[in-house]
Amino acid sequence: MAAIDLLNGLAPEEAERVLALGTRVAVTTGGELFHLGDTAESIYLVKRGRLRLTLPMQVRSHQEDILVEELSSGQTVGWSALIPPYRFTLTACAPLETEVIALSREALTRYFAAHPDTGYAVASNLSRVIGQRLQLLQAMWLREIQRMVEARCA
Amino acid sequence: MEMLLMGACLSVFGLAVCCLAFGAATRDVANGAAAEPAVEKEAILAAASPAHFFVVPPAIPVAARTRIPIEALLLQIENHVRLEHAAAECFLESPNASLLHSRTMSSLVN
Repeated sequence: MAAIDLLNGLAPEEAERVLALGTRVAVTTGGELFHLGDTAESIYLVKRGRLRLTLPMQVRSHQEDILVEELSSGQTVGWSALIPPYRFTLTACAPLETEVIALSREALTRYFAAHPDTGYAVASNLSRVIGQRLQLLQAMWLREIQRMVEARCA
Repeated sequence: MEMLLMGACLSVFGLAVCCLAFGAATRDVANGAAAEPAVEKEAILAAASPAHFFVVPPAIPVAARTRIPIEALLLQIENHVRLEHAAAECFLESPNASLLHSRTMSSLVN
């Protein structure tokens, strides 16, 4: 398994203790891990395989799930589980056999209350993950706006 | 006298035919002139409609787009997202305006 972005900087034994809080979840090819709007109880670490994050879009009067991002081994998904109102804002499905580690909010909160240093490290990693995705989407959004402006000024 | 009356009648008849023909011709022009702004207005409304993320600009003819099978269109969208994702990653590695606005090879927008 590749380095896990959420556990970056933790000592190996501490990272193992955090991983031991989770449960393995297997997602079959084409299966859905979570759906847009679902209650988010767990954050997921991709152990093996790949996850497609999609949002619905109207294409010729049909609703289609459009790829927003693709995640692979070592990456974290489902941080909505740690941020109110605890609802998934995307749909995650597996294009191939995938295995994830599900860390429940309840287990993490309890563990971090007892181990604040670990909690701080994980929270820092989480904010880095969220920040990188925000910057990425900002850049993608601005490129689309630029194209719209060019099309209208042409 | 009869010849004169006949000539006058034919003249009036000819004038009436000319008037009808002129009326018909000018009515077509008027309708055409009225239709043009309507088409223009539609185009302006389409161009001014609220923009959506990942939606192709209205400059591409609708008929040309509808000819593409939906599966191909979805693949184009997916390919576009991957290319944009890669372009955004390049920008984040070395943030500058030229990388932010680098051209795309995406068939969705070209």
